[in-house]
Amino acid sequence: MWGVYLVGIIAVLAAVGVVAARQPVHSAISLILNILALALLYLMLSAEFLAAAQVIVYAGAIMVLFLFVVTLLTAGKEEQEAPEILSGQRWWAGGLSVAIGLVLVLILAQTPSSGLGPAGPVGTLNALGAALWGRGFPYLLAVAMMLLTAALGVLVLNRPERPSRSSEPGSER
Amino acid sequence: MVYLLPKILVAGGALMSLLATLGLPRWRNGAFWVALVLLLAAGVDAAVLWQAEGNLSLLVAGSMIADPFSSLVDLLVVAAGVSSLLLSWNGDRYGPEFPALVAVAVLGMMMVAEAGNLIWLFLGVEVLSLPLYVLAASERTALGGEAGLKYLLLGAFSSGILLFGMALLYGATGTTLFVRYPNLPLGTGFGLYGVGFLLVLVGLGFKVAMVPFHMWVPDVYEGSPTPVTNLMAFGTKVGAAAAILRLVAYGFYPQAQWWSPLIGYLAVLTMIVGNLLALPQRDLKRLLAYSGIGHAGFLLVGIAAHNFLGSMAAVFYLVPYGLAAIGAFALIRLVEGNGEGVQLDDLEGLAYAHPWAAALFIVVMLSLAGIPLTAGFIGKFYLLQAALVANQTGLAVGLVVGTLVGLAAYLRPLQRMFARSRSERVQAFRWSWAGGAVLVVAACGTLFLGVYPSPMMHIVDQSANFFWLR
Repeated sequence: MWGVYLVGIIAVLAAVGVVAARQPVHSAISLILNILALALLYLMLSAEFLAAAQVIVYAGAIMVLFLFVVTLLTAGKEEQEAPEILSGQRWWAGGLSVAIGLVLVLILAQTPSSGLGPAGPVGTLNALGAALWGRGFPYLLAVAMMLLTAALGVLVLNRPERPSRSSEPGSER
Repeated sequence: MVYLLPKILVAGGALMSLLATLGLPRWRNGAFWVALVLLLAAGVDAAVLWQAEGNLSLLVAGSMIADPFSSLVDLLVVAAGVSSLLLSWNGDRYGPEFPALVAVAVLGMMMVAEAGNLIWLFLGVEVLSLPLYVLAASERTALGGEAGLKYLLLGAFSSGILLFGMALLYGATGTTLFVRYPNLPLGTGFGLYGVGFLLVLVGLGFKVAMVPFHMWVPDVYEGSPTPVTNLMAFGTKVGAAAAILRLVAYGFYPQAQWWSPLIGYLAVLTMIVGNLLALPQRDLKRLLAYSGIGHAGFLLVGIAAHNFLGSMAAVFYLVPYGLAAIGAFALIRLVEGNGEGVQLDDLEGLAYAHPWAAALFIVVMLSLAGIPLTAGFIGKFYLLQAALVANQTGLAVGLVVGTLVGLAAYLRPLQRMFARSRSERVQAFRWSWAGGAVLVVAACGTLFLGVYPSPMMHIVDQSANFFWLR
């Protein structure tokens, strides 16, 4: 029982650290601590897979992404788009994404159309996979659309300003 | 699977239009064309499904309800998306990702209306909102940034409330499938279940712009690019109103004796506050924002009446409101040209310089006000009838007072159009085929529905035929 409190306190302190730190990198490191504490909590709930995924995905992959963003934001923005080194990579990416989309539609077509069954044992890899790629597949797709939109939003909002949109009559107020 | 086809087409529209940006810069409007074609295909498919469904109500994949109501809402939100694409038909200005974001928002609106499961409802709200946050801020104006930030903060706040309510509902019932709630032994009391329902209602009230959760609307509508405002005003309202109707119709009808008066009071408040605040506005978009708040109140009248006529009138009212809103935003888009926003003074002289544009605008504004021979009158008439049949005189009185106040607000821009002097904007007025087409279709549809509403009534009749009323 005391372990839960201890880990909980660590998690909360680390979370406070995320918002209170003045350097973005310190925030990121506090976030790693917070994520590790959460993974411990999952372990105590005997959700081993979630704990492992938490460490690998969040503390690993996503934190690296965060650190990338931090370095990119502080590096100063490039005005010009970099020239493409691999020729035709856009078209390859386009073709591959169409193929993946078709596979996802095929999986969606096989989603059981009956109601939500009773929830199986949670926390194991099998149960999670069955839930996400079986009856819960539409949810997974919806979340995918959401994340795609968020990524697109970052692109749109971080784009350098287009010159045509200023000093129009009536725009000053 | 076949019931998911409209959603798959819309999602495909978003993804394919992103792929079409590969063709830049040679194929300039490619993304717009792809999104437009796939949205139209989704609309056609929804119409076909509507015909095939009859009185069917089917639970697909345990979370979505496939019935004529979802198909009708699909059609309406596709119309909202298509009109927004047409109003933004200039890829250079709004950026190549614009159509993809619009398609994702339309997908979210379809999801909330068909949800039979709290998870799907929440995911729908998020899929609807995220692209709109981005779109609201997609133009780098000071007002646009303010709009995006306000929308994001209040939207996140409302999503939190919604999610908290859903968690309480799950705690009280043990299932997220809200269509099963009436079968559970919960009684008609309040309890944890009631608190959860209230919080969910508050979360959806933010989206539908119900008073007192309307504060974000004017600033966001004013600061967003006009096609985006159009999508918010029509699409989001349709989606959120449909979600509320679906939620109370399928999940909470045994508890009607306490939520019906609550929604009723809020409806009266929304109608009167929205229309009153529309009166002093000088910016046309802000005026339409407050008018949108007022119209959310009108929609809620149908829901609060809690009878067959009420749900029918609420669903029907979405059509006149949507047509009128599209038409008004199309005129704003035409008048604003390359600039942003239209003050009432900018309309001066429009009636003499461009009488056709002015005439079409008068039609849609009179429809918003509820003048006979326009669709708005028919819609308000049915709502009034529903309120009286439900023996809720207060609702009826509120509706009439709100309409009267609104009339004054809608006549002010019309009066400006007949000024003798001509503003700079009117002198620079240029027709564009896309904006003109939207305006013409909206005004003609408004007149048609106002004169001959029975085909639409029949469609709505079939669609809003919820089982608890039979």
